[in-house]
Amino acid sequence: MPDNASHHDSVPADFRQERPHTGHGFGRLLVAVYGLLALAATGRSILQISEYFDRAPVSYVLSALAAVIYVVATVGLARGDRASVRLATIALTVELLGVLVVGAISYAVPSAFPDKTVWSHFGSGYGYVPLLLPLLGLWWIRRTARASAASGMGGGEPARSTD
Amino acid sequence: MLQPLTVVLLVATGVVCLLAVHHLWRRRLVDDPLVLVAAATELGLVGQLVVGLTKASAIGDGAERATFIAYLFTVLLVLPAAVVIAIKEKTQWAMAVVLGAAVVVAILLARLQQVWTLNA
Repeated sequence: MPDNASHHDSVPADFRQERPHTGHGFGRLLVAVYGLLALAATGRSILQISEYFDRAPVSYVLSALAAVIYVVATVGLARGDRASVRLATIALTVELLGVLVVGAISYAVPSAFPDKTVWSHFGSGYGYVPLLLPLLGLWWIRRTARASAASGMGGGEPARSTD
Repeated sequence: MLQPLTVVLLVATGVVCLLAVHHLWRRRLVDDPLVLVAAATELGLVGQLVVGLTKASAIGDGAERATFIAYLFTVLLVLPAAVVIAIKEKTQWAMAVVLGAAVVVAILLARLQQVWTLNA
């Protein structure tokens, strides 16, 4: 078949009913975005701490903390087993609290954060993605947990996928 | 830095975007055309890395230069990672990942240009 590339060569991408997994379907996008944030925050904090840490130590320590949280969230969501999801839930909760507290402080006491972090001003420097993402992530974890409970998996322990 | 190259890369990124939207619309998964366009874009980004590294010394401030170089490398990771994730995903979310990655590459290209024009 020389001409198989032009006609319907891929399976129609309908939403197959599969076992709920935090790293599949919409979760794939979530993992991709968290992975990107992990990369960005890690790179940024390495630069800040190595090049000019004295300028704003509090901001830079927070950037590093955010980087660690993003890494944990990415890995946790991607793995999707019970312990990983619990870890991701903790990471996302800390992230949400962090962005709320740091965001509020950065408006109330601007001098506390002389240089920007991913969380200052509720993440406005990053299109408010740092604020929206933990909300979206926690919603998604809740949704997959409920779906797996409803599908009679008892306790919602999804089998580790082998791919 | 090298404006024609940036324009070409933005156009290539735009093509990836359009193809992802098309595939999303037609309910297709990752196929050869998509991989080829992404690979061609990636090749252009490698070219940008080479050009950028040779010209990076024009940026006087050390931290800004480090940022510039970090962006040059970071932008290389986005498309391959997205394509790998998209190949694993067998629903339309695959194309959402590719689309998101193309937008991120475009943003990084703009940031690179910005760092360059402000500091070189």
